[in-house]
Amino acid sequence: MAFEPVREMKKLNYDEMRIYSEAELKNYTEEELKSFKCKYEIPDLDELEKGPWPSFVSDTKQEALRRRKLSDDQMLIGRDVCEDMLGQLQTSFDEGETHWKHGGIVGVFGYGGGVIGRYSDLAEKYPSIAMFHTVRVNQPASKFYSTDFLKTICDMWEYRGSGMMNLHGSTGDLVLLGTTTEQLEPIFYELGHVLDTDIGGSGSNLRTPACCIGKARCEFACYDTQDLCYDLTQYYQDELHRPAFPYKFKFKFDGCPNGCVASIARSDMSFIGTWRDDIRIDQDAVKAYIAGDIVPNAGAHGKRDWGKFDINKEVISLCPTKCMSMEGDQLVIDNSECVRCMHCINTMPRALKPGLDTGITILLGAKAPILDGAQMATLMVPFMKAEAPYDNIKAFVERVWEFWMEEGKNRERLGELMQRVTLPKFIETIGLPPAPQMVKAPRANPYIFWKEEDVKGGWNRDINDYRSRHKR
Amino acid sequence: MTEDIKKAILAYAEGSNKTKFYFKDMEKAVVKTIPEAKMRDVKKAATALVNEGILIYFSTGSSTMYGLKGRGMTEDPTEGTE
Repeated sequence: MAFEPVREMKKLNYDEMRIYSEAELKNYTEEELKSFKCKYEIPDLDELEKGPWPSFVSDTKQEALRRRKLSDDQMLIGRDVCEDMLGQLQTSFDEGETHWKHGGIVGVFGYGGGVIGRYSDLAEKYPSIAMFHTVRVNQPASKFYSTDFLKTICDMWEYRGSGMMNLHGSTGDLVLLGTTTEQLEPIFYELGHVLDTDIGGSGSNLRTPACCIGKARCEFACYDTQDLCYDLTQYYQDELHRPAFPYKFKFKFDGCPNGCVASIARSDMSFIGTWRDDIRIDQDAVKAYIAGDIVPNAGAHGKRDWGKFDINKEVISLCPTKCMSMEGDQLVIDNSECVRCMHCINTMPRALKPGLDTGITILLGAKAPILDGAQMATLMVPFMKAEAPYDNIKAFVERVWEFWMEEGKNRERLGELMQRVTLPKFIETIGLPPAPQMVKAPRANPYIFWKEEDVKGGWNRDINDYRSRHKR
Repeated sequence: MTEDIKKAILAYAEGSNKTKFYFKDMEKAVVKTIPEAKMRDVKKAATALVNEGILIYFSTGSSTMYGLKGRGMTEDPTEGTE
C-alpha cells in the first residue's frame, strides 16, 4: 500500500523564509577564525581541539565568532552564549563539578515533554547562559530532511537560540541546545506552523520513534519501517506529549536483522524485520560469486585485494549455526537452523535475499546503563505480520504498556520490570506463550515455566515414600 | 466522572506535603477515592487540569512529575520553596 500522510506536507522554501543573508552566515574569514580568542581562558578546551577528530570546541568557537559579528537585532538571546558556555565548561573542568542545574517546569503549554529546563548556577559570572534550555525536535522518519528544512531550522535557532545544536541525540531527535524561557513558545510556533514539525519526546513519555532507511532505499527491509514509525508516531501522540508512564519509553524500527538503528540495544520495544519462509537463493549468482564475476559484499571492502572469493571460508564456515553447505555446485541452506545473522546475505546480496513471507520480530527491555547497567532487549514475539493499519502491533504495544503502567515502579524501565517480575511471570501476564527464541540457551531447570499447582503433589514429596519404591 | 477525578487530583495535590509528585502516585490516590477510575480517565483529567493552568508538569528531562501551579515551583528554580 502506498504511503499516505495524515495531511499534505508543507513544501518549504528557504529563500522565502531565511533570516540571514549569505554574507551574514559567512561573516568572518579563516584568518579571523584562526586568531579567535574566547573571552575566557579555556586551556583544557583548547587542548580538546588537538586530537584527530572534529571538535565541538572548534565548532563552538566558530559560532561564537559569527555571533560576535552579527548585529544586536539579529539575535534574540545573549550574544555571548557560546563563549559563556565554554567559560563555564572550563570552570567545571577546573573544579571537577558541574555548574548546570537540570530540570524544571519550563515547557510549551499543554506539552509534558520536548523541553528540558537547564540553568547555570554561575549566572553572575556567565549571564547569557543563566537560562539555557534544551528543545528536542521530532526528526523525520529515516532522517530524510530537505536542505530547505535544515537551513530554515538553523536560521531559526541562530535567531531564537544559541545556534548550537546536536544532530542527533541518542534517541534520534534533533537537539537544540540553549535558549531562554521567553523564546520557548515562539520556537514551538515556528516549529509547528512554519517548519511543519513537532517537538520530540522527553520525560516519562513515549520518546520520538526512530527507524532505519527501510524500503525507501534498502532491499533487505522486511517491512516498511518508515510507514510503521510514522503510523505509531501519529497514533500515539498523546503518549508522546502527555506523560503518564513510570519512566521513558522508546520504539525503534529496524527493517532487517542487520539492525542499522540498533533497536535491539536502544529501545524498550524493538521491531526488527524478519521472514518465516526460506532465504531466496539464485544459484546462478552463487556460481558467479564463486567464479569471481560478482564482487562480494557489494564491493564494500573493495579497496584492498583480499584474494579470490572463497565461499567456504568467507560464508559457509562463518555461519553461526553451520546451516549452509555446498552439494555439488548448489548452495544448500537448512532454513530451520538460520538465526538471521545476515552474514551470508550481506556477503552475497545478489545471490541471497530474505524470504518473501516477511514481518517483524518484537523484542522488549533494552536500556542504557542507568540503574543495573546496559541491557539488550529480550525477544518476545518471534514473528508477527507488519501491515497497515498495524492493529496487531498496537494491541501488543498496549498490552505491554498496561502491565508496565500498572506494575512498574516510578522510574522503572520496562527491562527492569521484566527482570524484577521474572520472564515467566511477564510473558504470562502479557499473554505470550513461552518460546525457545526467548532464551539464549536451554536452562538447566526445564521446569522454569511450570507452576506448583500444575505439578501433581506440588513441590513437596515424601522422600521415605519415594525411597520405599526406588532403592538407591 | 472527569469532574470528580479532577477534584480527587486536586485534593491529593493540595493535601500532599510534596510540591511535585509522580503520575502513578496521583493515580493511586484517585483510585482510593474513586475505585472505578481507570488510568486513562486519570490521565485525561490531569491533562484537562494542565490545560486549565491548574496543574503543571515538572520535567528533569528523563522523568516527569506533576505539581500545583504556584505551589513551590517557579520557572526560575532559584526561587520558591522545594
